[in-house]
Amino acid sequence: MNLVRSELTKLRTTSTWWVFTLIMIPLWALAVLYNWGSSYATQQASTASDVPADQAEVVQVAGEAINVATTLYTSGQFLGVLLVMLLGAIIVTNEFFHQTATTTFLVSPHRERVILAKLITAVLVGLLFWLVTTVLNLIAVPFVLDALNVPVQLGEAGVWRAVGLNALAFALWAIVGVGAGVLIRSQLGATLTLSLGYVIGTMGASLVFFLLAEYVAEWFEKLQVLVPTTASALMISGTELPGNPPRWVGAAVLIGYALVTGLLGTAIMKRRDIS
Amino acid sequence: MDRPRSATLITRTSPKGVSVTVGQTSPGSEEIVVRNLTKHYKQLRAVDDLSFTVRSGRVTGFLGPNGAGKTTTLRMLLNLVTPTSGTATIGGQRYLELDQPIRHVGAVLEASSAHRGRTGVNHLRVICAAAGLPRERADEALALVGLTPAAKRKFKGYSLGMKQRLGIAAAMLGDPRVLILDEPANGLDPEGIRWMRDLLKALAAEGRTILVSSHLLSEMQQLADDVVIVAAGKLVRQGPVDEVLGSMGAAVQVRVRTPDPAKLTTALAAFQPSITPLPDGALLVTGMETAAIGHAAFTASVELHELTGERADLEQVFLQLTAGKAGIR
Ligand SMILES: Nc1ncnc2c1ncn2[C@@H]1O[C@H](COP(=O)(O)OP(=O)(O)OP(=O)(O)O)[C@@H](O)[C@H]1O
Ligand SMILES: [Mg+2]
Repeated sequence: MNLVRSELTKLRTTSTWWVFTLIMIPLWALAVLYNWGSSYATQQASTASDVPADQAEVVQVAGEAINVATTLYTSGQFLGVLLVMLLGAIIVTNEFFHQTATTTFLVSPHRERVILAKLITAVLVGLLFWLVTTVLNLIAVPFVLDALNVPVQLGEAGVWRAVGLNALAFALWAIVGVGAGVLIRSQLGATLTLSLGYVIGTMGASLVFFLLAEYVAEWFEKLQVLVPTTASALMISGTELPGNPPRWVGAAVLIGYALVTGLLGTAIMKRRDIS
Repeated sequence: MDRPRSATLITRTSPKGVSVTVGQTSPGSEEIVVRNLTKHYKQLRAVDDLSFTVRSGRVTGFLGPNGAGKTTTLRMLLNLVTPTSGTATIGGQRYLELDQPIRHVGAVLEASSAHRGRTGVNHLRVICAAAGLPRERADEALALVGLTPAAKRKFKGYSLGMKQRLGIAAAMLGDPRVLILDEPANGLDPEGIRWMRDLLKALAAEGRTILVSSHLLSEMQQLADDVVIVAAGKLVRQGPVDEVLGSMGAAVQVRVRTPDPAKLTTALAAFQPSITPLPDGALLVTGMETAAIGHAAFTASVELHELTGERADLEQVFLQLTAGKAGIR
């Protein structure tokens, strides 16, 4: 498909891709260290006795070897999908920032095809980022697990399912990014809104859902999966966590967001005047 | 050119209810036809019921004051801006309907640019990839516009004229039969302007359709065969340059120099011309032919040192035609 080739050429011929790669690597390293630390803390907690009874079960399951492994083997998801989403948005906002939209739509006046090509490109890039982090994880994580006295578990189906679903998360976030880039045309606006929204929105939403569950009704907690970051985190858990919706719900929620932003973005782009 | 040139006729009803037939008159012609084109922005009719035709084999100048709606019209023609009503077709088809449009139509537009961090040749390669053209076309097009030495430099380092040349190169990638240019001379040096004039004339001579908007009226007078003049979104005049200039025959100006301006003014009074003294002492007479002035002076025994007829140029005609029409809106 010519348009996808063209989009890949666009990416290849500017500095964007290696800048993102340069940012990606240290963030990944940080994520591994963070997960190492938190896994260690969970391990300590699950053997301790002073944990409140209602949380004990969750902590205990989270401390199971398989869940420690899936968390570590998918290290870098939280910030990785953020970068992929930003890249997806930049693929679109670039065209307005550098006024190349005119040329792009002169070559291909069927704008939905251009957006489709951008979606495919973003997904390919998302998968590439997933591949890179996954390869790095497969190299580094066995040493971490060894240090935690947890088996390497590369033969476990649960690990590979988490790694596979992680790929899906990267791809879906890339789609969300492209859609968001159409909605917020300004390069700076899109980048700021998405990164702040992602980080602060995640924390804010957790707080809101926590308060709702605490003071209004407990079932609000179940709705927390509607927060996209929670949804993608849910997808990569090793076993079903007690009190949490099943993994496929996370995938469904994320697919929903990707569909809505992707379709909305295409519809808006088709009607917009380019001047 | 691989698109079959069918002689399809499109029948359309004009506002007056008369059925008119618009279509390709001769096989191979790629006329641009704009019919009742209108674009409303919030409070503004940027383009207002505009109709005109651009013939192939000729260079057509698209003229109008700032804010007249030229850019908006060209963008509607290219499916970048959606018209409020009306149609614009190229060779009988809307831009959206063209198969591989940049092989048919090349465009250089304002507010069109390249990624600042991408090299000129890569900018063209991106377009080649999207259009399914071979990569080598990028190098050929760069050579055509004389940009080969800067091919591997980044766009942000280009001068205004180099950016403009890159835009022209992009438009020529698909060897199009129709060229649409919005103020292409912007930033070109004198040599570049001459080069572009020759290029556009040569392309028109090959039977291609060239529509070019510009504010450089003396340049247009040399370049264009036809003109379309718009003001405040409406058509003011359309036709061959000679015809448009000729229709202003009464406005021909004559420079007269005489040692006795007062006596000449009296001698000409019977013909009711408009006489303006020029700073250099000569008089500018409008409304009389050279012969009539010479005869009147001879009869009244007024000594003349200079008597030069100045044919109305495009600039005068343009200013006259667009005078009083709202400028910037
Ligand atoms: N996106 C827009 N939103 C609102 N108004 C617009 C928009 N684009 C153009 N206009 C208005 O439409 C009118 C026509 O603009 P246009 O750019 O077509 O003029 P032009 O003939 O190309 O002028 P110039 O010679 O200065 O390039 C102007 O008054 C302009 O302000
Ligand atoms: Mg303009």
